[in-house]
Amino acid sequence: MKNKIVQAIKEDETLSGYQIEVFVSADKIVTLTGEVDDWQQVVDCGHLVAKIKGVRNIVNDMTAKGIVIPKRDRSMEIQQAMESGNETACDILVIGAGIAGCAIARELAKYQVKTIVVEKNSDVAEEATKANNGNIHPGVLAKPGTLKAELNLKGNEMYTQLAEDLHFELKRPGSLNVIYKKSEWRKMKALQVMRVTGLGHLVPPLRQVMKVPGLKWLTGDEVKKMEPHLKGEPIGGFWMTTMGLVEPYEVCIAMAENAVENGTEIRLNAEVLDVLVENGRIAGVVTNQGVIRSEIVINCAGVYSDTIAEMANDRFFTIHPRRGAIAIIDKSRKGFLKTPAGIRGGKEAEKNNTKGGGASVTPEGNLLWGPTAVEIPWKEDKSVEASDLDYITKLGMSVTNKVKRSEIITFFAGIRAADYMEDFIIERSRKVGGLIHVAGIQSPGLASAPAIAEMVAGLVYEERGGLLVNPAFNPVREPKPQFRHLSHEEQDALIQKNSKYGNIICRCELITEGEILDAIHATIPATTVDAVKRRTRSGMGRCQGGFCGPRVLEILARELEKEPTEITVKGNDSFILKADNRQPQKGGSHERTEN
Amino acid sequence: MKELKIDVAVIGGGPAGLAAAIEAKDQGAEQVMILERDVELGGILQQCIHDGFGLHRFGKRLSGCGYAHHFIESVASKEIDVKLKTIVLEITDQRIIYAMNEIDGMMRIECGAIILAMGCRERTRSQVFIWGTRPSGVLTAGTVQRYINMEGYLPGEKAVILGSGDIGLIMARRMTLEGIEVEGVYEVMESPGGLTRNISQCLKDFQIPMYLSTTVVRIHGNRKLEGVTVAQVDENRQPIEGTERYIACDLLVLAVGLIPENELSRQLEVEMDPRTKGPIVDEHFMTSMPGIFAAGNVVTVFDLVDYVSLTGEIAGRGAAKYLQGKLNLELPAKDILPGDAVNFVVPQRIRTANAEDSILIYFRVKEEMRKVEVTATVDGEVCMRKKHPIALPPEMMVEKIQVGKIQEDARELRVSVKVG
Amino acid sequence: MKNEFTCIVCPMSCVLTVEEQNGEITVLGNGCKRGKEFGKNEFINPKRMVTTTVKVTGSHLNRLPVISTEELPLDHLFAYMHELYQVVLEAPVEKGQIIIENIGGSGVDIVASRSLNQIESKKERA
Repeated sequence: MKNKIVQAIKEDETLSGYQIEVFVSADKIVTLTGEVDDWQQVVDCGHLVAKIKGVRNIVNDMTAKGIVIPKRDRSMEIQQAMESGNETACDILVIGAGIAGCAIARELAKYQVKTIVVEKNSDVAEEATKANNGNIHPGVLAKPGTLKAELNLKGNEMYTQLAEDLHFELKRPGSLNVIYKKSEWRKMKALQVMRVTGLGHLVPPLRQVMKVPGLKWLTGDEVKKMEPHLKGEPIGGFWMTTMGLVEPYEVCIAMAENAVENGTEIRLNAEVLDVLVENGRIAGVVTNQGVIRSEIVINCAGVYSDTIAEMANDRFFTIHPRRGAIAIIDKSRKGFLKTPAGIRGGKEAEKNNTKGGGASVTPEGNLLWGPTAVEIPWKEDKSVEASDLDYITKLGMSVTNKVKRSEIITFFAGIRAADYMEDFIIERSRKVGGLIHVAGIQSPGLASAPAIAEMVAGLVYEERGGLLVNPAFNPVREPKPQFRHLSHEEQDALIQKNSKYGNIICRCELITEGEILDAIHATIPATTVDAVKRRTRSGMGRCQGGFCGPRVLEILARELEKEPTEITVKGNDSFILKADNRQPQKGGSHERTEN
Repeated sequence: MKELKIDVAVIGGGPAGLAAAIEAKDQGAEQVMILERDVELGGILQQCIHDGFGLHRFGKRLSGCGYAHHFIESVASKEIDVKLKTIVLEITDQRIIYAMNEIDGMMRIECGAIILAMGCRERTRSQVFIWGTRPSGVLTAGTVQRYINMEGYLPGEKAVILGSGDIGLIMARRMTLEGIEVEGVYEVMESPGGLTRNISQCLKDFQIPMYLSTTVVRIHGNRKLEGVTVAQVDENRQPIEGTERYIACDLLVLAVGLIPENELSRQLEVEMDPRTKGPIVDEHFMTSMPGIFAAGNVVTVFDLVDYVSLTGEIAGRGAAKYLQGKLNLELPAKDILPGDAVNFVVPQRIRTANAEDSILIYFRVKEEMRKVEVTATVDGEVCMRKKHPIALPPEMMVEKIQVGKIQEDARELRVSVKVG
Repeated sequence: MKNEFTCIVCPMSCVLTVEEQNGEITVLGNGCKRGKEFGKNEFINPKRMVTTTVKVTGSHLNRLPVISTEELPLDHLFAYMHELYQVVLEAPVEKGQIIIENIGGSGVDIVASRSLNQIESKKERA
């Protein structure tokens, strides 16, 4: 195998000249080292090796010239935490409160186990989850036979019941591949024949398509009738009717809250510094808030899942951060598109390892353009570049050229946690007892999350040799009032019941003080401006918090009994206000000499 | 649901709305109601503690709050209904307003006339496309002003200001006086956006540098702002490679422009002017929808509050006349159009028979010009000429035109500016 | 001594060169009489209105805006600020109420530029 790999690298045009060392372990884990000129080459090399038959996964330690990825020495912090005397214990410890961690936590709440979820951020859904485009993919694109293929299909289906139980917004307008080229249309018609006749089952690459329910082939006229604002003259369309739309953070928060309501503990601002392994078995983790003992640890740490694996001495994959940027269009375009739409046969998307992207729609009705897919060396670099927006605009414009770039109200990026096999890694560690990896969870991770959770519960069952059902589990999370969705009569009634719903704080999105108070006093309290925003939409409109920002800050300070200078946008040191401006000793000008 | 019936509803209790309400009342409208979303009247003037307001109207330089005070007192003395902390959710073309607050709950208000006076809002970071991350510490100038002047907090220690419009300049001085180090004011255009007086008294007095043709191209810091990168721009406003400079700072103040606040106007589907980004209005500042008026920064962003309150009065008078049936809307309206070198005009229409003896036309030039002549032409015939030593885009121009000079059967009135 | 100022009397923004020789002040570059006057004043003793806020308790705002009754010498601006930053008031305050009389011995008062009512509990607002 090693020779094959070395040969493949040698034959690759862009990689052949470099000194790249290849090491293959007994369990088919390939480790790559060496220096190349730019980061994309590092990633390309990983992907190249991943394609070689028999490779289980890749640890890519290659570097690119001039790119230094700083490593923090946490030994002092670890020692402090160990000596702090803060020690708790649980049955199952979940690292990371993104969509995977929260779905798993809720799934485990169905059983009689004590689960603790630790999250380094100040809120759940703070990383990739919040920057996801909210598509519950129909599952057409996943490679047959992969975990993604299986779990996407299953997860998509599970969302209907979940939305009902957890009361989050789920729309299923389907998703539309618009066809302009005759050659594409012929291909699609051929696919239809394969599907209708069942012949597709005989063609391995089509096996996934054969399994996806609700596929429809539309004529050009039908497409135009469905989406009158599409660009040009579509000649046909491929409508995947099971595509769903959610707000990803809303789903995550709903799952987390339901888990907590059923006994799960979620510790925020708790960062895992080390994983404790004793006699080849997991013993717990060290966090900045102390030690948590647990016989089972589930690694859902997103872009840091390889770091966690390394802490447990079970490093067998590398996460290469892939940034995705998204732009949101002003709500004056609400209803402009009914379904997420993309162009069939967009080569660029394939090359960039995304599900295509184009123009999507949020459940609230905003148009959403993107995402991009850019390989980056740094796991925290959520910046958006001019090139990102150019790409996003091109994607959006390929679907409809009526929406202008100036209608974008915000843009942001998240980091996908991709491994080199580009599939989910969901398995019990082969080296460390009690450790379960849930890594490489990227698109369609959101769509798959409920199915991932079920699968993980199965692994926990195996690990523990059984699980007792929790008879008290209540799958339902009660809905909270959403003022903007009510009729004027209902709004009036709500204000009569609680006058706080009569005070609009965010006027762009019509969010009331009542809703903000609900968020601050929720099962998982919103303690930052962004946390309030994700739960209520306050600040998501066209003024982007210009008006409501100071008011939300004031309410947070009042309700949390803190000084306004202690309130942050997104935890940590992201303070908004520096100081009271009439503290006698503060500030330069007060002591400034006359000039 | 509470049901009310009133003569004139004024949406917004800033200078435009206050002036409109007072004038409507004075001109005979009986039940006038101001619907204001904040806890008090005055609008954004209440956070404008600096002086320079009211030179035209009061002949002295008041603070913004001082200016507001005059109008608020006047409202209080006139039996005008004021609903505070009240938000208007919807206006129908039948002039029914749905508004709400904590005390009244939802109200259905039938109005004889409505005056839109919602003011304007600030452009955000996304609208000027600054690349990089999204940390805390990036605030609009108006938000910083509110924090410092009303709440009493400093949002940072070292600030960079993007935008040399008046708000940016005012905040440069204000922050300096509060002990925040202002590193500089950056302006993407070749010339400053604000008034000379403010450049002199807000920047030069404090040796704050201003960099023209320079902009913030990048924001750094994942959670908290760590710094910005600035760069010079070419004539197409594109950053010039090699001119980038990193500035460590914990506050980026955005003064990148104001946009008329027209959510309700758009919902109502009144005709909009893409140049002003506000409703098209006639000589009484009535929109394309009968009985719906607009005043102040909703129409276009004015430089002076005196202009804002003046348009409020025109609209207030118009609303009263409308109620009294004194406006003949059967008459065809003539267009008022921007001519050479003029960016926009307000108002955009006139029915001469409804108009008073003279009409004020507000406009801006597209670029700086010296020794200019403003002309107004009626179907090509000059009806007014006036010379000015200088015309600058940041300084709104106003000309008075005698309505008698516009013939009954004329089609359009055009305002142009030429050198010479 | 020689100094340059941008005239702010009108939008023309003339650049004024002001020079003092043997007690005689000359202004160059002005386009009008008012410009000359402005240049002279800026040269001898530039004055500005002073506006800032002072701390206030018991009202719906934490700060009361204040303004000088007349222009004050620019040179002493930071000293005035320093004095004003020590002030703590209690609502109610009436517009025009004197906050500091004869600030820094200048003969000019600093007054409230708006009224602020007293409120019962600050807790309730948002």
